[in-house]
Amino acid sequence: MTDTTYRVQMQDVYKDYGTNHVIKDVNLNVKNNEVVVLIGPSGAGKSTVLRMINGLETTTKGHILIDGADISQAHVDINHIREKIGMVFQHFNLFPHMTVLENVILAPVELKKADKAAATAEARQFLETVGLTEKADAMPASLSGGQQQRVAIARALAMHPDIMLFDEPTSALDPEMVGDVLQVMRKLAQQGMTMVIVTHEMGFAKEVADRVVFFDGGKILEQGTPTEIFDHPQEERTQAFLNKVLQA
Amino acid sequence: MHRKSYLTAFTTLFVALLFTLWPAPTAQAAEKTYTIGTDVTYAPFEFANEKNQYVGIDIDLMNAIAKVEGFKVNIKPVGFNAAVQALEAGQIDGVIAGMSITPERQQKFLMSDPYYKVGVVMAVKQGSKIKSLKQLKGQRVAVKTGTAAGAYALSVKDKYGFSTVTFDDSNNMYQDVTTGNSVACFEDSPVMQYAINTGMKLSIVTKPANPTGYGFATNKKNTALMAKFNAGLKKLKANGQYTKIVQKYLGTGSKKSQAAANKKNQETDRSFWGLLKANWGTLMGGLQETLLVTIVAIIFATIVGILIGLLGVLPNVFARGISTTFIYIFRGLPLLVLALFIYTGVPSLIGTKVPAFVAGIITLTLNEGAYTAAFVKGGIEAVDVGQMEAARSLGLPFGKALRKVILPQGIRIMVPSFVNQFIITLKDTSILSIIGILELTQTGKIIIARNMEGFKIWTMVAIIYVVIITLLTWFSKWVQKKVQAS
Repeated sequence: MTDTTYRVQMQDVYKDYGTNHVIKDVNLNVKNNEVVVLIGPSGAGKSTVLRMINGLETTTKGHILIDGADISQAHVDINHIREKIGMVFQHFNLFPHMTVLENVILAPVELKKADKAAATAEARQFLETVGLTEKADAMPASLSGGQQQRVAIARALAMHPDIMLFDEPTSALDPEMVGDVLQVMRKLAQQGMTMVIVTHEMGFAKEVADRVVFFDGGKILEQGTPTEIFDHPQEERTQAFLNKVLQA
Repeated sequence: MHRKSYLTAFTTLFVALLFTLWPAPTAQAAEKTYTIGTDVTYAPFEFANEKNQYVGIDIDLMNAIAKVEGFKVNIKPVGFNAAVQALEAGQIDGVIAGMSITPERQQKFLMSDPYYKVGVVMAVKQGSKIKSLKQLKGQRVAVKTGTAAGAYALSVKDKYGFSTVTFDDSNNMYQDVTTGNSVACFEDSPVMQYAINTGMKLSIVTKPANPTGYGFATNKKNTALMAKFNAGLKKLKANGQYTKIVQKYLGTGSKKSQAAANKKNQETDRSFWGLLKANWGTLMGGLQETLLVTIVAIIFATIVGILIGLLGVLPNVFARGISTTFIYIFRGLPLLVLALFIYTGVPSLIGTKVPAFVAGIITLTLNEGAYTAAFVKGGIEAVDVGQMEAARSLGLPFGKALRKVILPQGIRIMVPSFVNQFIITLKDTSILSIIGILELTQTGKIIIARNMEGFKIWTMVAIIYVVIITLLTWFSKWVQKKVQAS
């Protein structure tokens, strides 16, 4: 697969909740190894777009293609596609009745990607990547928010995804925990992981993003390189938004 | 496995288990066996003796007639109303239960020649000032449902200006008078005489009215059995066996001869401990049945409840509809109505008998299963939606996500409800006494029908329930700790 191949293609995508049009005509393509950061005010539709990419939300109209396969087609196995897309949630969503290690190996073992021994060995490596080797046997409830979020990242990585989706991964964290999580994400970006990130961490966006997409009112208002968006925003709404968040 | 095949597999299992519980049809014997229904509490015509064997004028008469006429009988003490309904529904072949021959009954059933002549008498509490029907104006009177004595009371109710309260068995009716809730009751003369001679503190104050006879009833088409009964009765009257049977239970009419007759069938020590000792075996037999019904019902209700509860959380409108409807109907129906419907209603619909035990298990399975389904569904829905999303986002299919991630968390939420439901099931088995299952409550009723010691026997029954529920609670707490610790 070459670098120009699109991992994700969203074509004229709409999403309605009854009469409420939350996503309007979104076209968004993500290339292999690309890091795309979605920014914008609350309720702009960023999270919805992210959740549509792995089918947690359905589309009302339009097509979403993952590696060329249209996920809204009945014959496409959404479970198989999700194996290739890791997702990290705002509230971590670790499985509270399992240890950290069990959280990480659940999917690889259940989906027969590896036997238990191999999955366990690999899981320890991923826990090392996120700096939590010593917490393998801990229960999620005994970890801090930042630690839980790093376990959640390890859990997603255990399926060897081609794409990682991050839905406001640091919004629920105490400020002193944010750095550790961003550090792990930075490492992933440097290793060439294809990533779509919804975040309010503008500094981080500027640093790691190949492309920044500004959402407002369910639409893409503007997109470009971090320099283009942060230093020379074209749209008034973008300027207003950035003024607000950068001052805070 | 696919969801639908789970459902099919479960249905097959349920039906298979039901059929194993269903008594296999007995091999055709040389002598035909008839199933005869009778009352549980109508001494001296039918009652359980202290060995818990059914005896009484009706029972001995029926057995003697069967012997001289060459057939077999299987006598089932299911209660008067249940017996009559079972006869209508074709569940049984005949009823012998001190049943007065009335024109209405002759229209519905075949009634035999009268085998015992009776009249309706009025009884009051000993020492009561009420001596005649005229004094009943404005008073409350106890009657028993479906009886000729009860019908007589209703027929003169307006004339004498009294109100009535209805009971299902004689003992409760007598108790209502001895406790003073009602001032009088109406009962067939020999039954009333027997109760008084056995220690019930009532007095008969009227002469027998509306003389009729007791008759044996069968279905209109069953002329063969009816002919045998009438022929047998004639033979017994001729050879003197009939008089012997009557005297065995009623003596020669005096209190003294009654006491002598009772000795053969009654406890002699009437203290709490004496009664407990004499009835221990019977009560434990009832408890055993209660526990058996409870355990079988809990197993079925839990399986049904979990499956119906799971249907309620599937991403399929049809499955959820089934779940909601099941819960709505069977949680809404009173257990008593459901039990009677399945035991006496369904057989007239499908044309086959439903044994009481099977009917009882189905009743509890549907009712307790509906409650179980409701809290299983609720328990699953109480798990944070983020858990399902996280599991699905890893590529786990719905079923796997449910099993590995949602259910283990949901079950922890459900455990206290399960414990609660088990205890409720145990208590609800007592309602099945209505369809004649010989569980603890029914056992208590039967003992009281014989010895009229309501207070002491109900105290024993209550204590047994409390002890068993305490043990069950301890056990559940232990299980709960294990689950929460794991």
